[in-house]
Amino acid sequence: MKTPDIFYVEDDVDYAFFMQSAIQEVKDTLNLAIVEDGTEALQKLQNFAESRIKPKLILLDLNLPGLSGLDLLKFIRDIPYLKTIPVILFSTSDNPDDVKASMEFGANAYLTKPDGYENLVKCVHSVHDFWFNQYLRLN
Amino acid sequence: MLIREIKYAEISNIYMTKFSVDLTNCDKEPIHIPGKIQSHGLLVAVDKNSLSITYISENAEVFLGEQARSLLNKQLSTLNRFLKQQNPAFEIEDLLKLGIIRKSFDAISPHPVEINGRSYYLIISSSKSDWLLEFEPVTLQFDIQSSIGRSASSMLQGKSISALLKGAAQEVKKLINYDRIMIYKFLDDGHGEVVAEEKEAELEPFFGLHYPASDIPKQARALYKLNLTRLIADVNIPDSPILTFKENEALDLTNSALRAVSPIHIQYLKNMGVYSSFSISLIAHGELWGLIACHNYSPKFIDYKAREGAKLIGQILSSALEYRQEEEDTAVIEQFKNTANILQEHLNRDKYLVEAITTHKRTILDTTKASGVVIIFDNELKTIGDVPSEEEIRELAEWLKTNNDESIYHTHRLSEIYSPAKKYKSIASGILSCVLNKEMGEMIIWFKPEIITTVNWAGNPEKPVVPSENGLLNLSPRKSFETWSQVVNNTSEKWMAEEIASVLRIREIIITDINKKANEIRLLNEKLQAAYEELDTFSYTISHDLRTPLTSIKTYAELILKNKSIDENGQKMLGRILIGADKMNFLIKEILNLARVGRSEINFETINVESLLNEIKSEVWSAFKADHSELILGQLPHIKGDKTMIAQLFTNLIGNAVKYSAMVDKPKIEVSAYIDEGETIYAVKDNGIGIDNRYYDRVFELFKRMDNVKNIEGTGVGLAIVKRIVEKHNGRVWFESKLNIGSTFFVAFKNR
Repeated sequence: MKTPDIFYVEDDVDYAFFMQSAIQEVKDTLNLAIVEDGTEALQKLQNFAESRIKPKLILLDLNLPGLSGLDLLKFIRDIPYLKTIPVILFSTSDNPDDVKASMEFGANAYLTKPDGYENLVKCVHSVHDFWFNQYLRLN
Repeated sequence: MLIREIKYAEISNIYMTKFSVDLTNCDKEPIHIPGKIQSHGLLVAVDKNSLSITYISENAEVFLGEQARSLLNKQLSTLNRFLKQQNPAFEIEDLLKLGIIRKSFDAISPHPVEINGRSYYLIISSSKSDWLLEFEPVTLQFDIQSSIGRSASSMLQGKSISALLKGAAQEVKKLINYDRIMIYKFLDDGHGEVVAEEKEAELEPFFGLHYPASDIPKQARALYKLNLTRLIADVNIPDSPILTFKENEALDLTNSALRAVSPIHIQYLKNMGVYSSFSISLIAHGELWGLIACHNYSPKFIDYKAREGAKLIGQILSSALEYRQEEEDTAVIEQFKNTANILQEHLNRDKYLVEAITTHKRTILDTTKASGVVIIFDNELKTIGDVPSEEEIRELAEWLKTNNDESIYHTHRLSEIYSPAKKYKSIASGILSCVLNKEMGEMIIWFKPEIITTVNWAGNPEKPVVPSENGLLNLSPRKSFETWSQVVNNTSEKWMAEEIASVLRIREIIITDINKKANEIRLLNEKLQAAYEELDTFSYTISHDLRTPLTSIKTYAELILKNKSIDENGQKMLGRILIGADKMNFLIKEILNLARVGRSEINFETINVESLLNEIKSEVWSAFKADHSELILGQLPHIKGDKTMIAQLFTNLIGNAVKYSAMVDKPKIEVSAYIDEGETIYAVKDNGIGIDNRYYDRVFELFKRMDNVKNIEGTGVGLAIVKRIVEKHNGRVWFESKLNIGSTFFVAFKNR
């Protein structure tokens, strides 16, 4: 299995599509793996751990059918092999309670889904710049 | 007598130092044990166990021809030899035993006997451990029964109470033929009034005169209830002392007809010129209602049977009075009850209490005989009829609230207790108040006007007692009976017991109604609260769910717009879709914010407003591209509140200030605060377009936007959010504004 650069869990197919285009627009070599629900995501994460595959970044939608983004985050942080991967919670909600809960569960960042495509591209740009360039340098 | 005189002197000394001497001293006289009898009859007392003679009146010698003292301690049967009876075999001790077996002497008294050829009645009664045997002369030659029957029926023809009384006086005069017959009624304070009179033509009338309470002392009144008639045959004949060997035991003469009269009362009668007096008690509902007082200006004895006849007339009159009074009372009570029922119906039907009891044909005024009423309820004051001014009523209510703990208070002499009422005594000399809620000062007050009346006293009741020659105060009864007129003012008609009962009844009804309505409001409030919370949840969810598809719409539009093959027209339309989506997105965000304020719990912390405002400034200034606007910060004390909400509050207020001043020459926004009486008051001031004061009340309403801002972007949610946040913090928000000059919004936070 090819190691994805970004592992993205998103039940909204439209948004998944936008993310796909935005990432390609930012850097077309970036490899994006998307799953649509929590259970499938859980399965995938277990496979990663077993086959020693480590995505560079995980993006989790907060509100997912079945398991929520927070449940997945907790799971990731409990698996020693995966727990060092940066995780960003990505949601339409800007409710401070959600932000607070995410940070408490060990998210590296909480991003409110940008409004519109142009904003999304800008957002992905900065995420890429930070987590794929700056972050790596820092390490 | 000597002992008693000394005692009086002592009493007078005490009274003299206190300066309150009046004839109430009579109250102290032990009139039931005078130790003497009126000498027109003979009294013998025998021990109930031994039937030996224990007491005998000194005048026994006059009647029996044997020294009284010699009969003491002899058996009762000793008397038989003096008595001649119709049945010679029948002896006096048999008579006594018969009464003892029957437990009553009613059927035995009067028993006719003959002593030394003269006719007497023997009347037997009880006195503690002795039997009293009294002999008095028979003077009536004819049977009086038939004339009593006639008297009673003609007396009862009187329909009204006054006609009834007048008739009774006439009939009693016919029966006993005294010079003057008065019917004397006791009023509440114990003083009496002559309410009917029948007299010889040449006598001065006493009708309508009032007699002070001290004229008939307390213990005399108690005796009037026990002995329904009382004869004083001749005030000038010396009494006959009672002889006994039981030195320190005075014989109780409570039930004796011959009982000697108190020297004070004898003097009183003498002062009035009366030689003989007779009285018949009138009892209504177990209480002494009054007396039929008969005066004769020469000595006069009344035969036992005539006295019994008069007593019967008195009893018939008593029950007639009771019945007539009840009839009149019942009519009043019925009317009051009827009013209470009608008001209850109004209360059930009408929404507002005051309206229900004041606006219909039958009102709260009809629950008493008052001429005006005020209802103080819910801070409102509603009056019917003749009442003092609103200001006067408010003062009176305040006085009642502080000086009175009872739920019902009444007086018929208000201005004498509460001097400010002097100004309006003509309409409110009588008040009857009933408290609905003491803390709130809610009450109903009924008013009665002043009635100026003249009371004619038979002698000045307050005339001080004159010291006698030996320096002691003179305790003989008053000598002057000259009519003394007193004008009574500051007084209203009295409040009847029925009126007070009626007020208690209506108070109960009103309080029940208030509680019922309060409960309804509470339930309604709970429902409203629930609906409000539901609405918050609903708006939150719906807004949230709307955002996702909206984002898709917008993003697809943007993606399509990237496609180079779309022509200019298509690009224009996609542009419109984007603008629409942005507007909708902003609105949804605002509603979310508003709903969030309603849903969130406040998390109080100390807020550094200065650093908060600096954050807000950069956010707001970039959002509105307000580089040319100036922000001036004054004193910015810390406040306690929820940081997120307070940030939202200032963002909205400062955002508005920037937005609505952007078009002026030099926009200037000032934020400062001051501390005032436990509050920190923040002011956000701009020099923008201002708000028309006509819309003052609508400014904080949801989705309300003023006419002069139609061209400026806005949702009408911002100030509604501000208001909700302030309310959540138990603070206050208001503004001052002038069109085209600027607005200042004030927010007052409680210092915690």
